[in-house]
Amino acid sequence: MTQFLAMSNRKGGVGKSTISVMLAHAAASWGKRRVLLMDLDTQCNASLMLVGGEGWEKASRAGHTIADYFYDRFEKVAEDESTYVLANIGDVSHGRFFGGRVSLLPGSQRLEDIQNELFVMQSSKRELHADAVAVQVRGRMKRLMKHFGMDFDLVIMDCPPGLSFAALAALDLADHIVVPFRPDFVSQFAMDRVAMLIERVETGEQLASIPFGERRYSCLPNGLKGDGAERMLLEQLALDHPLLKTSLPALDSIARAFDWDETRKSMEQKYADALPHLRALHDEVFGVAQLRAKSA
Amino acid sequence: MRKKTRALSGASQEAFFRRVLRAHPGLSPEERDALLRKLRSEVAQVRVRVEPRAEGEAAAIIGKTAAPPEPPAKVIQSVPPPPAPTPAPFDPYSPNVVVVVRKGGREAALAALDSIDSVDNLRHLAREQRLSIGEEPVTAADVRAAIVTAAERRIANRMAAAT
Repeated sequence: MTQFLAMSNRKGGVGKSTISVMLAHAAASWGKRRVLLMDLDTQCNASLMLVGGEGWEKASRAGHTIADYFYDRFEKVAEDESTYVLANIGDVSHGRFFGGRVSLLPGSQRLEDIQNELFVMQSSKRELHADAVAVQVRGRMKRLMKHFGMDFDLVIMDCPPGLSFAALAALDLADHIVVPFRPDFVSQFAMDRVAMLIERVETGEQLASIPFGERRYSCLPNGLKGDGAERMLLEQLALDHPLLKTSLPALDSIARAFDWDETRKSMEQKYADALPHLRALHDEVFGVAQLRAKSA
Repeated sequence: MRKKTRALSGASQEAFFRRVLRAHPGLSPEERDALLRKLRSEVAQVRVRVEPRAEGEAAAIIGKTAAPPEPPAKVIQSVPPPPAPTPAPFDPYSPNVVVVVRKGGREAALAALDSIDSVDNLRHLAREQRLSIGEEPVTAADVRAAIVTAAERRIANRMAAAT
């Protein structure tokens, strides 16, 4: 059964794409899973990390991106899903006989425009209130994303910072959501908001009434420097949100790992001293997600 | 006549240490805080001598209300000689005031801040914990109250943003 994991935070620059790619590599290498990374962010950073600028541009020109997939399906163009997928990509060697591999549904800078177009298109078809059309578009996108993921063991959805239809559809679809954040002052506001969105509540009190064990999300501290200000903020956030035990320190090796390079390498070569952190993250995230999936 | 003694531990012991240290004007507030932390962590109990005719006075020493200029009680046991004044670095993130207010309310936060005597340290803590207290509070008690009020405002601010 396909497992859907979303990487989301309404705040930008918190490491969503980096962590999506790291977890995709980890799940393919160590979990031996067939992983699809669905790039929903119009910045397309995850796509660029996995196939480089030229690879992404080629897919974009060929009309093989997530925006094209949505557009074609809404227009009932019957291309096979595999047309849009770049299979077995990334610069990590997973070994021919190991079974794990990473595939990509590339992102598109046109995704937001296309979502607006789809909304207008649906509105003109029926006499419906705008909210109802929005729900319809979102629901359709969710079904399409679910359908797309069926050939994989794991789908990681790299969400954009904003609240696009696709981002909301991904949050609806996800079995579990990882919310990466940098421990700074504004993060707590962003975390509260994304948590309320995920849990579909409107106030902090309503959110507080949901036990941590029943929440659909876990928060991942990223880019830690280990100072007292971070410690203080993490203690404060832990009162309101389930934090993963694993955190990612600010490491040059993580930043360097995403300079595009065509040469395939081992996980050890790619992630260097970040490897133990990635191993801990992989074990914890998939442990938590598994647990939630079973209890659901 | 045999002299009476009284055992002190916990809050009464801390109050006693505080008074002893305050009686030494040569110590800076930072050094006093450091010594207090050290004594608190290393001494489980002290026994103080109480003169029979001065029992009321001794009770005042143990309580927090009176502030005699010099401590009339003498430590006769357990207290190691005060270490050389090499103050441990002050941790401006402890206590985490927002967390203490959220968990235990205003009084708990004031109590947690009570062990910090130095106004400079309190202001340092406020600055590092992003708790805006302004310039008006001058005494340690006023600064503590301002810190807790700022933490309450901070919590209310976040609640408002999440509505």
